[in-house]
Amino acid sequence: MPSLKSLPIAGQQKLWRSVDEHATPPAPARELGPSTPPDDATSRRNVLQLLGASAALATLGGCLKQPDEKILPYTKQPPEITPGNPLHYATASLIDGRATGLLVTANEGRPTKVEGNPEHPSSRGAVGHLEQAEVLRLYDPQRLKVVQNRAVARSWRDFLQAAVYQARGLRLRQGEGLRFLLEPNSSPLIGQLRQRLRDTFPRARFSTWSAVPLQHIHDGAQLAFGAAYETRLDLSQASVVLSLDSDLLAALPGTLPAMAAWAEKRDPSRGPMGRLYAVETNLTVTGMNADHRLRLKPTELQRFGLALLGRLGALVPALSPYAILTQRFALAPPAAKFADALARDLVKAGRGALVSVGPRQPPALHAAAHAINTALGSACAKLAQPVLHDMDAGPRTLRQLTEEMRSGAVDTLVITAWNPVYGAPADLNFSKALSLVPHSVYRTLHYDETADRAEWVIPSLHPLESWGDARAHDGTVTFQQPLISPLYGGATEAEVLAAFLGEGDRSAYVQLRELWQSRQPDGFAMRWEKWLGDGFIEGTATKAETPAVRHDQILAAAVQVPPSDPATPGLQVNVVPDYRIWDGRFGNVAWLQEFPDPVNKLTWGNAAQISPETARKLGVAQNDGVDLGLRGTPVHASVVIEPGHADDCVTVSMGYGRRGDGEALCRGLGFDVSALRSSEAPWFGPGLSVTRMGRKAPVAQTQEHHSMEGRLIAALTTLPKLKETSEELAEHRGPTLTAHRPHEYPGYKWGMAIDLSRCTGCSSCMVACVSENNIPVVGREQVIKSREMHWLRVDRYFVGDDLGNPGVVFQPLACVHCEFAPCEYVCPVNATVHSDEGLNEMVYNRCIGTRYCSNNCPYKVRRFNFFSYTSNYGDIEKMVFNPDVTVRARGVMEKCTYCVQRIERARIRTRLEERRIRDGELRTACQQACPAEAIVFGDLNDPSSKVRKLHREERSYDLLHELGTRPRTAYLARVMNPNPELAS
Amino acid sequence: MRRFVLGEFDEPAACVEAARRLRDKGVEGLDAYSPHPLPKIDDALGLPRSKVPLVAITGGVLGAVGGYALQAWLNGILYPINVGNRPPHGFWTNIPITFECGILLAVLSIFFSAIFGFFELPRTYHPVFESERFRTATLDKCWISAETADEGAVPSLEQRFREVGAHKVHTVEESK
Amino acid sequence: MTESALDARARLEPPRLIQGEHDDGTLNKTLNDFVWRAPPPGWFTLLLIGMAGTGVLFFAISVTLAYGIGMWGNNIPVGWAFGIINFVWWIGIGHAGTLISAILLLFQQKWRTSINRFAEAMTIFAVMQAGLFPVLHTGRPWFAYWMIPYPTVQSVWPQFKSPLMWDVFAVSTYFTTSLLFWYIGLIPDLASLRDATYSRRARRIYGIFALGWRGSARHWHHYKIAYLLLAGLATPLVLSVHTIVSWDFALSILPGWHTTIFPPYFVAGAVFSGFAMVLTLIIPARRYMGLKHVVTERHLDNMAKVMLCTGLIVAYGYVMEHFAAWYSGNLYEEHVFFSTRPRGPYAWAYFTQMFCNVVVPQIFWLRWARRNIWTLWVGAVLVNVGMWFERFNIIVTSLHQDFIPSNWAMYYPTWVDFSLLFGTICFFGTLFLLFLKYLPAVAVAEVKELNHELHGDRPYSGGPHA
Repeated sequence: MPSLKSLPIAGQQKLWRSVDEHATPPAPARELGPSTPPDDATSRRNVLQLLGASAALATLGGCLKQPDEKILPYTKQPPEITPGNPLHYATASLIDGRATGLLVTANEGRPTKVEGNPEHPSSRGAVGHLEQAEVLRLYDPQRLKVVQNRAVARSWRDFLQAAVYQARGLRLRQGEGLRFLLEPNSSPLIGQLRQRLRDTFPRARFSTWSAVPLQHIHDGAQLAFGAAYETRLDLSQASVVLSLDSDLLAALPGTLPAMAAWAEKRDPSRGPMGRLYAVETNLTVTGMNADHRLRLKPTELQRFGLALLGRLGALVPALSPYAILTQRFALAPPAAKFADALARDLVKAGRGALVSVGPRQPPALHAAAHAINTALGSACAKLAQPVLHDMDAGPRTLRQLTEEMRSGAVDTLVITAWNPVYGAPADLNFSKALSLVPHSVYRTLHYDETADRAEWVIPSLHPLESWGDARAHDGTVTFQQPLISPLYGGATEAEVLAAFLGEGDRSAYVQLRELWQSRQPDGFAMRWEKWLGDGFIEGTATKAETPAVRHDQILAAAVQVPPSDPATPGLQVNVVPDYRIWDGRFGNVAWLQEFPDPVNKLTWGNAAQISPETARKLGVAQNDGVDLGLRGTPVHASVVIEPGHADDCVTVSMGYGRRGDGEALCRGLGFDVSALRSSEAPWFGPGLSVTRMGRKAPVAQTQEHHSMEGRLIAALTTLPKLKETSEELAEHRGPTLTAHRPHEYPGYKWGMAIDLSRCTGCSSCMVACVSENNIPVVGREQVIKSREMHWLRVDRYFVGDDLGNPGVVFQPLACVHCEFAPCEYVCPVNATVHSDEGLNEMVYNRCIGTRYCSNNCPYKVRRFNFFSYTSNYGDIEKMVFNPDVTVRARGVMEKCTYCVQRIERARIRTRLEERRIRDGELRTACQQACPAEAIVFGDLNDPSSKVRKLHREERSYDLLHELGTRPRTAYLARVMNPNPELAS
Repeated sequence: MRRFVLGEFDEPAACVEAARRLRDKGVEGLDAYSPHPLPKIDDALGLPRSKVPLVAITGGVLGAVGGYALQAWLNGILYPINVGNRPPHGFWTNIPITFECGILLAVLSIFFSAIFGFFELPRTYHPVFESERFRTATLDKCWISAETADEGAVPSLEQRFREVGAHKVHTVEESK
Repeated sequence: MTESALDARARLEPPRLIQGEHDDGTLNKTLNDFVWRAPPPGWFTLLLIGMAGTGVLFFAISVTLAYGIGMWGNNIPVGWAFGIINFVWWIGIGHAGTLISAILLLFQQKWRTSINRFAEAMTIFAVMQAGLFPVLHTGRPWFAYWMIPYPTVQSVWPQFKSPLMWDVFAVSTYFTTSLLFWYIGLIPDLASLRDATYSRRARRIYGIFALGWRGSARHWHHYKIAYLLLAGLATPLVLSVHTIVSWDFALSILPGWHTTIFPPYFVAGAVFSGFAMVLTLIIPARRYMGLKHVVTERHLDNMAKVMLCTGLIVAYGYVMEHFAAWYSGNLYEEHVFFSTRPRGPYAWAYFTQMFCNVVVPQIFWLRWARRNIWTLWVGAVLVNVGMWFERFNIIVTSLHQDFIPSNWAMYYPTWVDFSLLFGTICFFGTLFLLFLKYLPAVAVAEVKELNHELHGDRPYSGGPHA
């Protein structure tokens, strides 16, 4: 039950409110507010309590004042601020060093909503769920708030003094013993700082670490071309795509444009459909969208790729030397059939062919893909110089560093990479090594596992608080500008590095401006304003190149690969980054914890995902507690049975099992997979043991029933069958018999259309909805009780009889705004009624909570505030609320409103201009976020409107049409494009 | 001041018989008392037909009409709104409440008219209670009373009561 | 009716409705005896338990009010659960009271006389329990009064098309009517209590509630007709109330709720469970209060027959539900009646219902079972259980798997849910014990009249309780 008591650290915060208070005596770390939430906060029982924590921590002092440095509003907006009218600023968020261009909405100086920058090549107006959650991460009351030295509170200035003193000593030794452990980074500013640090400290070394290493991509390119290149996808050209464990629709850089381009290929009304093959171990978003999917043990993928290369050798002259590989790597019959058909299909596609390999796969496979793409002259795989300063990020470099640390060669270690102590493979024992380093500096957003072992811990600024630059997936230089002055103080990466050049007093803004001024001296002031306004510099994308492929090298590497699995047959472990919290850095973001994994609908923790077949073999069932053992101590996990998963292997996702003091929200959720990773095999390997614990360990899934029970819910068909399907669907649209005269809607007539064929199931729309509509987070317990509050959910159904390899279909489902709404006539107090534009309106303050409307809603899209989920939000967290949307009270029903607040804003705007709302100028939050443009909203009375056309499409149908509810949201059937050779 | 001549009878039948004879002898202001309703006492005392049914039907009709009007006016006229595309004024959906209101008002009018109107209750005092013996009227005996104003008439009345078979007869006076 | 006819019937009806020779005096003594003498220790023990349970009830209520419906097991999709189950169950139980006192009166069933007071009391106390839930189960009980049509600043009015509004009117009317009907019937007996006692206090208190009734013929004259009219009104009322309760479900579009057979089958179910509850209570009561001479085996026998009959109607309802589901060929209906209920995770509840409501009553075909106190009592208790589970299946089982499989979810009650159910049972018991102690549990005046009618010198027709 919700507890209203605030945490015992109340008041402490005041002490450290300003980092410049020298006078304050050092306090032992235990008493430091942010780093030590009390025990009761750690219990996952009650996320409300955690959210309530900030009540004590919040000091709004500086938050609302605009930053001192001049930032510029998005150029398409009126420059002046009108209270009540939000402003939009272009900025960027970074994941593993690559920038995504964002457009952030600020209400009276507080960022409230993250959207995609329509101009920016990496977002094109769309946005992923991770980027959108940045705004909640900004207001996380558990963020680290003060500089610490060995758990003693210090000021930023103390650190600068220490750094300068340290640097003086180091300079005498040419930086002997000075090491930097950075995040993968593409920022020109950081690049320049790295250079200057190298000049000052010749013997200093830089290493790059990411828990999601890129070194195989790097090595693969080295192997294929003898130089570092990276593949930039352009799916607009694609007709046949093969994903070898490459989650190109969800987890690769440049995902958003990729999804947008691919969606066009999945819409039968838009020219020839593309075809997607996926070969992978665990079901991924890309795999769920594949027309043909082959599931293999992780170690088998490489052999499959090479076998495919061999087959192509027989078909493509340029690849003929590889033909021998076909014999070398014999495939099992189903795989062989798959490979044959695939090879022919790829050749047929020619320029439209694309083979994409995931970062987890060994270099040889990457090289093979390069060979295929180049040989087929693929226009979809463009090769370009990597945008990162250092692609070689991963266990290899980390091992070198760790060995140095152990040998005592490292005297000073500066860490800006995210939490290596947690993320590093177990065998490196990085945390032990770190404690051996006399001087270490760690910059972080939370007091996490690494902070516990570092000498100096510097609070990092949140991206929405910091100045910076970075390059997008295609190299476009992108700027970060702060939307709010730092809530708690802290430093950017550039400021920390500059400290060792004795320039700690120069803010990131000054450094950034100077750098770019030096690069573009003439007319700088004007350019600068334009750059910040746009959020990026046009035409800075890296050029595509056509390096020569070293086929001999690739072949040599290929034949090195053992033809059959040396590893004993047995269970394999398969580690993947988590869709919700990536490598764990988003662990403390409640929205993402409650965000259901697009594939298995899991929230608040990870699980051991296994195929039904393997589950049968192991004699385990859903929610069974098991011990996963590989080398070191076993970890406790709960079983989640995942149709479509490869047999004899267990997939676990990263980022859980956190132990950091400062991250009470995610601490103790799930289990830590680093024990199952080694620097040799960071991703997958044999030798896993699974033992039943003999007790249930329930997981929190938002969907527990995965079959459609033979009902027409999410329509699924294939291109050849499209005609007859649309004839069937004709009976599922249009008006039904009724006793009542349908109401007239002369003005606007709002409606929505959702194209299941475009939808990839990425679920970004869900976070958009949460963020736009102030939807509360309810916590693990409540999710288990099936009380989650998402107005918009993405249902995922498995189809077909083969549980081993089922078809998948998604269905984003929110209130469909029935014209004959069953929820309305049962409400005794007129709390849910119809607007004259056909919106099914929910009147919160009239609702008494009988829940009859929900019982009578055939779609069950209504959500009920079983508890007071928001009453104990702290002042800081309240800043995330969208002022246009009511925050609902306890005991009140709520549901999708078609973003009525956006409709009203548009109405006000257009009334002033004395015109109707134009089609497309008004978009709901979910529609705006959707990279695939699967959601379309608009006026059904407007003959030219897109939504009206879609409602009349042959693929369109009404959900549960036979009930005569006349929904305003129409669905368009999902169309698959199977290869006739493989269609069975 | 009012006087009541009271006579006690053991058997209901005897009591009814006595009441009839007294009335035949032209005794005024007669009333009978018993633990349970006496058969045929109504015509013995020549009581007129009860008005309760009239009250009931009036209340019922008023209630039903009021109930329907309430719904028709509030949902149909005063605040019409599109609820699930149903017509604001729905005849069929108004029936249940109309019925309930009819019943409710009928019941209330019956109860309150009976208690306050016809019984003229509640009352804390009635002259007949002056007789301690009269307790038996609600337990196991029947009584007949005759009301008279002038003291002179009392002896003759008492005489007549004895004649019709009352085995205990006495007179009570309304206390000041 | 004529003399001969009456004699004939009297002869036809062994054993007699009133055992032994009585006159008004002895009836007075025996029937009110329990009021005057000190209650047996058993009474105090039961009262103590009852009050303890009532304490639990009020604790559970305050927890619900303090933290919200979240303290219950409800979720989405199962928006209604224990709250509404208990509501329907209690209302149903209440109906037997009205049926006995009103309908049997109209049908001139003399055997009702000795149990109607008892049954009416049960009605009132049951409706009091039922009344708690519609208010408690709302998310914001403190705004429940918005269902009353009064001019608010919101200038919005209640939505009279909602069955919940009909409920508000039906249940409140039902409670008022039952209460007044009961009270008007009590007045003569209160007067007799007033006059039977010599303790000043008792005489005062009963005097106040007797309103100064003196048994005047001029009063009986109106009283008879008033009582008859109230009975006449209560009869359609009781039918309408459970019909409306059943519409709460029948008017929705949910498979398992959306059924035209609901009204008759709910009413039958109500009478079924109501009679079961009367038996459950009266069997011990007649024993410990020495009422065996007025509540005879024949009364029990008749009630068993009514149970058997209504039980068969209910069983027919079950069959028709399944038949309609099959005959309609509707995918969702078939899923509810042939998958979810018999084969789903709540199948155990389904079979409990079928056993208690369909199998158990069949035993009452046998005369000995109807006359044997123990079988009768156990059977009655089982029927109460069964009827509770019937509502569980209708409400929870239908909700937890409806149209769109993605939102299917299980429902698990919490300790608060159980406390509320247990608590209302105890609260009901407490009220009942107090009633037995302080009021005549049998309608004395009516029994006296019946006594005269049956063995008196001259039987007669007419009169309210004929």
